[in-house]
Amino acid sequence: MSESTYRAAVIGLGRMGSTFDDEIRQGGQFFMPYCHAPTYAASPHTELVAGADPHVEQGAIFAERWGLENRQIYADYREMLEAERPDFVSMCTTARHRAAIMIDAINAGVKAIWAEKPFTLSLAEADEVIELAAKKGVAIAVNCSRRYNVFFTEARRMVEEGELGELLQITAYTQCNLSSNGSHAIDTMRYLVGGDVEWVFGEMESDEKAAGDEDLMGNGYMVFNNGVRGFLRGTPTGAAPWEFDLIGTEGRVRSLAQGMETQYYCWVPGGPRGRNLPARAPFPLPTSIPAMGPAVIEDLIQCIDSGAPPRCSDEDGRKALEIAIAMRESHRLGGCRVELPLADRSLRLLSSEIAQDAVPARIRRLKGRWP
Amino acid sequence: MSESKFRAAVIGLGRMGSTFDDEIEQGGQFFMPYCHAPTYTASPRTDLIAGADPHAEQGEIFADRWGLERGQIYADYREMLEAERPDFVSICTTARLRAQIMIDAINAGVKAIWAEKPFTLSLAEADEVIELGNRKDVAIAVNCSRRYNVFFNEARRMVDEGELGEILQITAYAQCNLSHNGSHSIDAMRYLAAGDVEWVFGEMESDEKAAGDEDLMGNGYMAFDNGARGFLRGTPTGAAPWEFDLIGTEGRVRSLAQGMEAQYYRWVPGGLRDQGLPARAPFPLPTQIPSSGLSVIEDLVDCIETGRQPRCSGEDGRKALEIAIALRESHRRGGRRVDLPLADRSLRILSVEIREDAVPARVRRMQRN
Repeated sequence: MSESTYRAAVIGLGRMGSTFDDEIRQGGQFFMPYCHAPTYAASPHTELVAGADPHVEQGAIFAERWGLENRQIYADYREMLEAERPDFVSMCTTARHRAAIMIDAINAGVKAIWAEKPFTLSLAEADEVIELAAKKGVAIAVNCSRRYNVFFTEARRMVEEGELGELLQITAYTQCNLSSNGSHAIDTMRYLVGGDVEWVFGEMESDEKAAGDEDLMGNGYMVFNNGVRGFLRGTPTGAAPWEFDLIGTEGRVRSLAQGMETQYYCWVPGGPRGRNLPARAPFPLPTSIPAMGPAVIEDLIQCIDSGAPPRCSDEDGRKALEIAIAMRESHRLGGCRVELPLADRSLRLLSSEIAQDAVPARIRRLKGRWP
Repeated sequence: MSESKFRAAVIGLGRMGSTFDDEIEQGGQFFMPYCHAPTYTASPRTDLIAGADPHAEQGEIFADRWGLERGQIYADYREMLEAERPDFVSICTTARLRAQIMIDAINAGVKAIWAEKPFTLSLAEADEVIELGNRKDVAIAVNCSRRYNVFFNEARRMVDEGELGEILQITAYAQCNLSHNGSHSIDAMRYLAAGDVEWVFGEMESDEKAAGDEDLMGNGYMAFDNGARGFLRGTPTGAAPWEFDLIGTEGRVRSLAQGMEAQYYRWVPGGLRDQGLPARAPFPLPTQIPSSGLSVIEDLVDCIETGRQPRCSGEDGRKALEIAIALRESHRRGGRRVDLPLADRSLRILSVEIREDAVPARVRRMQRN
């Protein structure tokens, strides 16, 4: 099975589905290929067989760019699923439709889903997708991509092998709406800590925002079940853009400036009154730097073969959403700690990426740049 | 007046009063002279004229070390205040007695008090000392010494002059009991953020500790009145010992590893998608590096002459204590935000330094080593 080539289709042929990699000119946060179509085209394990998008213009660009025939492009993803019977499906539409499309894809018999983030809008949607996928044995990877980034995977390896000692603290300075890019920030905190969040405190950017369901910025304090504490600053971070700081008793890893730099510190003898010093040492790179998209594919193929959950699973996607919602609940309740899991599964966050989603994000972006 | 020398006395002739500087072998967190007797001896503005301590051994060591006669050492600080009429008094005893001694010193007519931290144990004590000090025009400086450290002063100058842009965040990784060294970390956060705390959320090291009055470790989130937000990790910090991280829209200052290094970053054009980059630039040092202790003296002399408040005032000492207590209250209330000021002034934290205070701290320390 693992020697054969999987048939892969992309639903949503816009920015993440097709052209995102064109925007990236420096490694660190991303190593190419990163987004969906370029990855399927590059991977030896997959063949890109189809795309689906209701916007004709997106389909035409996609077919031309990735060498598909016009008949391989569908306006209706259901028709595509029926006609092409793909093994892999990427979910790159607006998050508004993600849950429904995932459910349709699972029912159509796909083997693996590679979903953009956020996983879903509501907890109930997440529950439904996860339950159905488990029943049908479908592997779902959520593209919280730092789990497939070598600097973060090395940091996690250092944690697992005890090189940082006992973990104490994870801090994230990551300006974000809590669903949209907060799904990255929160998932990365969970990944680095290797634990689950038991309760949170949160402060949102305003009472008005906290009262509604629209995506919003906020800060939070998280208590992990392995004793680690987390602090997320999701409100503006100024001169500290997208930084993760993982602190243990014996070492520390800092990912700085949107992943452009990663630092490692180890605790060495010396210092005033002999209390030791945090000495900066080279960050240990592995012997090869994998592309991030193909790393997802390899992960999903292993999951298909073994039944194990992907490195960033649907469950991870649900937990990131649930933590974000719990922080908002904390604010709504007047600033008190909120235990996980949340009982009310109707709670939701309308990810900021679904705003104006009648027009594809790539087209909005192009219009914004060249009005 | 400003050319005359002030008569200075130390109450509590132990570690902070006398010998602390002997332990320090590297600059950064401290620049010498730092603690009380060495500072009074070095300052051109003060003469060290007396000491008081109920432990005879401490008095003898103090007299020998600082060249005082036996007649200048008193077992009872009240007698000393009465007989010597000092202008400056340093309060370096256990914190258990600090409020009472400050009240007695103010009533004895001193001009200035240089008090060790924590300022007091309870909010009521702090209220009483501050009110009396204001009424009698006594300048009280609390030795939360980062306010008299050039790296922190420069960081604050950068804030005041807008070089960091709008201040967004102050983070402190500072393992501490919240009254004892927490008075340093919380005061430094207030100083750097240049604002007052409106409300806090806190988690203490345990429910048991939170329920009692003993000093304790904890973490907290702070909302400042100028929009800045603070995060204090006072529980163990491992490989991140005593670090302050001040983040603004245009720049950032980090004080690392107990003040051994200060870093400055500024926001410059460039970077991914031209969103800007945080570039490290040399930390701007002033043309002179003042001694921490002498800076306190100069500050207090100026306060005596002008009537203004010291850079680290009694009010600052009270606020650090009140924030620490509010963090604990947040935990006691089941994890809920707590607004400042606190209504219940009987609340207190029994600073860890008053434990075993029947034996002077220096003697305990020597016995341990």
